[in-house]
Amino acid sequence: MSKYIQQRRNFLKNAGMVCAGLSTSASSIFQLKNLAAMSAQNLTNASDYKALVCVYLGGGADSFNMLIPRGQSEYTEYQNTRSNLAIQRDQLLSINPLNTSGVEYGLHPMMPNIQQMFNQGEAAWLTNIGTLVNPVSKIQYQNGSVPLPLGLYSHSDQSNQWLTASPGERSIKGWAGKISDLLYDMNTEQKISMNISFAGSNIFQKSERNVEFSVNNRGAVTLDGYGDMYNSGPALTSAIDKMLGHNYNDPYKNTYKNLFRTSLDSAIRFNEIIDKTTPITTPFPDDYMAEHFKMIAKVISAREKLGFKRQIFFVEVGGWDHHDDLLNEQNYQLMKLDMAMGAFNNALKEINMIDDVVTFSMSEFGRTLTSNGDGTDHAWGGNVFAFGGPVKGNNLFGTFPSLAMDSSLDVGNGSLIPTTANDLYFAELALWFGVPPSELHTVLPNLHNFYAQGSTNSPIGFLNF
Amino acid sequence: MKGLGLIFILLCCSFYIFGQPYTDYIGAGHSKGIIVTSSSNQERTDWTYLASGDKTLSGNGLEGKLSEAARFLTQAAFGANEKEIAYAAEKGLGPWIDEQFTLPLHDYYASSEAYVEYLKNYYLGQGVDSSEISFTPNWTHWRYAYWNNTVYGKDQLRQRIAFALSQILVISDESIGAADALAGYYNLLSKNAFGNYRDLLLEVALNPTMGNYLSHLNNPREIPDENIHPDQNFAREIMQLFSIGLFQLNNDGSKILDSNGKQIPTYNNDQIAELAKVFTGLGIGAVQPEMGDLYFGRGIYGSDMRVPMIMYEDWHQQGPKVLLNGFTIPNGQTGMKDIEDAIDMLFNHPSCPPFISRQLIQRFVKSNPSPAYIQRVTNTFINDGNGVRGNLQAVIKAILMDPEARDCATLSDPTGGKLSEPTIRQSRFFKNIGILHQSDIFINHSNYYTELTGQHPLSAPSVFNFFTTDYAPYGEISDMGLVGPEFQILNSLSIIYYPNLIKSAIFYENIVENWEDGPFNSFSNASQLFAFAKDEEVLINKIDMLFTQGNMSTFTRSIIKEAIQTFPPTLNGLTEKIKLALYLTLISPEYVVEK
Repeated sequence: MSKYIQQRRNFLKNAGMVCAGLSTSASSIFQLKNLAAMSAQNLTNASDYKALVCVYLGGGADSFNMLIPRGQSEYTEYQNTRSNLAIQRDQLLSINPLNTSGVEYGLHPMMPNIQQMFNQGEAAWLTNIGTLVNPVSKIQYQNGSVPLPLGLYSHSDQSNQWLTASPGERSIKGWAGKISDLLYDMNTEQKISMNISFAGSNIFQKSERNVEFSVNNRGAVTLDGYGDMYNSGPALTSAIDKMLGHNYNDPYKNTYKNLFRTSLDSAIRFNEIIDKTTPITTPFPDDYMAEHFKMIAKVISAREKLGFKRQIFFVEVGGWDHHDDLLNEQNYQLMKLDMAMGAFNNALKEINMIDDVVTFSMSEFGRTLTSNGDGTDHAWGGNVFAFGGPVKGNNLFGTFPSLAMDSSLDVGNGSLIPTTANDLYFAELALWFGVPPSELHTVLPNLHNFYAQGSTNSPIGFLNF
Repeated sequence: MKGLGLIFILLCCSFYIFGQPYTDYIGAGHSKGIIVTSSSNQERTDWTYLASGDKTLSGNGLEGKLSEAARFLTQAAFGANEKEIAYAAEKGLGPWIDEQFTLPLHDYYASSEAYVEYLKNYYLGQGVDSSEISFTPNWTHWRYAYWNNTVYGKDQLRQRIAFALSQILVISDESIGAADALAGYYNLLSKNAFGNYRDLLLEVALNPTMGNYLSHLNNPREIPDENIHPDQNFAREIMQLFSIGLFQLNNDGSKILDSNGKQIPTYNNDQIAELAKVFTGLGIGAVQPEMGDLYFGRGIYGSDMRVPMIMYEDWHQQGPKVLLNGFTIPNGQTGMKDIEDAIDMLFNHPSCPPFISRQLIQRFVKSNPSPAYIQRVTNTFINDGNGVRGNLQAVIKAILMDPEARDCATLSDPTGGKLSEPTIRQSRFFKNIGILHQSDIFINHSNYYTELTGQHPLSAPSVFNFFTTDYAPYGEISDMGLVGPEFQILNSLSIIYYPNLIKSAIFYENIVENWEDGPFNSFSNASQLFAFAKDEEVLINKIDMLFTQGNMSTFTRSIIKEAIQTFPPTLNGLTEKIKLALYLTLISPEYVVEK
């Protein structure tokens, strides 16, 4: 028996036991599954819906030029360290977090929508967050006495760790995939995965049980010619139905034809429902990436017809590896990102789902605070944002680090040791989403180094639930 | 020849009995109601495999040798046209391999440059401003060179090995786009494909593109005052992925277990730190003309990525390095000698032969080789018969000529075979059907196809390749305890994009892709099938031999036949028959899975 099946059985068993006291007729598998689903929701209203939307900034965003201290002494530190890459203080978009004892911050001038969302209490920032195996000090980092994440500063390893929550090993299972394995039964739709991807195959949503359902801005991809009533359409359709309905007595052929059949049927069903769904009227920028979020809003508004109670969306926004031309590139990239986020926030209000969706950003690492001429190199801790009804907006979570050179967190060129483990960020999102506390450490195998099993505290406290 | 004579008579009888005025060749599938009693005993000394029973009459059996050659060329080559299939069948598979060993090495960089030269001259001739023309090859030209040699190069086996090796010793065009880096690295793999794994491992360790990818280029010795430690990235991956793997292996590929039944790690973190010291001091080895000086710390810009990295002794970590199993590199050696010793240590590690052998079998023959098959190949890796370890010619021959690769029985073994890799499916299509060019040149980068299907050589998303060797898709394969690595890149989009791309290629002649502005389109040579299209069975036989190695099942034949029967034997109708039959074949489980 695979480890996964064992875990899953344990989970179902536990769920059954928990609920046995509530129900006297939990005998059939069907009921057991429903009970498991209820347990998975922490016994909240069975009609609820929750979605996580992950915005992954691929390449390592220079997020200490996105969230910037505005207090005079802190700004001066920032300016001295960043030298020719510092953004002028009077250009910063001011934010005044409720929880920073009056210390002022600013956002990159190309982020007016995030600024507005923050100031209206809809968005929050989390600062100096990153991959950690254990808490580590600068001395421990230098003398190597504490295990560090594998392949620090490497795109492949660090992105892998943000997506798998396994900083001490190279895992091939994403934390969204693991969540979907646990909560799968909550959705009445069983063919279309809980995990919807705008980035194709990805490790974040890789699960034992399902592949992510990949879509694009127009919806799912259906088979050209299938169902056509003209030319070769009827002959083609009939032949494909037979081809995909056959048992080939061969595991490879059957796996191929099963996935083919499932994907084809799901895509047709998905598109039928999506095409009939009331269009989103909120204006979106005319941009390929922004259109992803328009489609997500549409999918969320079609959730009941599609049979979804839980969904995780994955969007990858590439192009943040700014070794060169940082200031110009970031202006352009942030403008696009900010406009997309603002439009998405408005669209969620339009469909009245703002309270059921949490959108959150990730990036594999922050970048060096010092300049390499006109860009920055790979570093470690960085800043992320989250927005949505459940987010405790207008707050800055975590400890904003000193940006002075050779600070107690600076391990070289302004590469900062994270002061908040990304495991805690994931834990809070997972708990809000409905992962039972007892299963949290299965999803996040390294979490125990930062958050005790069975703890009743919020891992960070940036979400209401 | 008695047997053949009998078949001929029986077939003539069948024409007579059914009264059909066939004018095509014998054995074209008209076998209904006929029982053959003699052909399965018939011996042909020059044929490795025999025709038998119903297949004889359906036409396949008579071509048993061709069928086997076609299957072999799906494993050992990138597909084959009829002429190439006949050539291999005539020559014999072993001799075909031996002949491949003698073919000259292709230079992908020279070919990339030739594309640049050709296009430059074309564009200048068209009056295009020189500022809009590429004068140095980039990743696009490398891909042109790759696809050209895949489709037209005779060195098919060397290329297949290079492709397989590129998925073990991974670098990626996601980290570097220059043709000297990409084509240079592929040249390295091609050169060593018929060499020794030890030399290959050393050349890979010294290659600047690898150095850039896994960050041991410009990796300095430790500098305690500045808290600088040697970068461990390459040290980890050369062990985990390029030579010995995470756990100690038996020669049959199974994991060695300790007395508690637990797997035994091959190395620990301290040993990675020690090995990291070995890979210090390597810097760029050559500069492009007028692009500055050579020094430690020089970046890749303007550097010649075809030239191995060189050792900058001042930056190499001095002192002994304690590696695996007590093997210690002594103090006082040159940096390069340290590296050679470390490579020897990994190459001679007992896990290296089974670790590499299993992966190579997976790339050529099947996802789930038996322990005995792995052991046979491992034994050849350990000793090629002449006392040489790591002889890749011997290893590849052992893989391809093994009974588990060649026996017809494996066709019906449910654990046999593998999902065909997307780029191999593409090249099989190109080669099997043949390509006609608008000009005298084949220009293709398959960028869209490979983006949508998830695989292009030297374009893996990470050092873990496109898929991992132990990936098991959920369902029938995982239930049986099997793996199916290639399924890792099959998702709800890529599995539908593939047939849509095939449909576009076959129905709308969107065969090749390039971004050139000129008469550089190409078309499939599907019209060669026109002569056979008026009889569905003949057409399907032809397609079967080209695309499914003469092993298309009765079921698949029947649904294709039924589908194409709906079209009349007019010019348009015959064209539609060919297109639909090709499309259905290419998306069928029998084409997409290589048995």
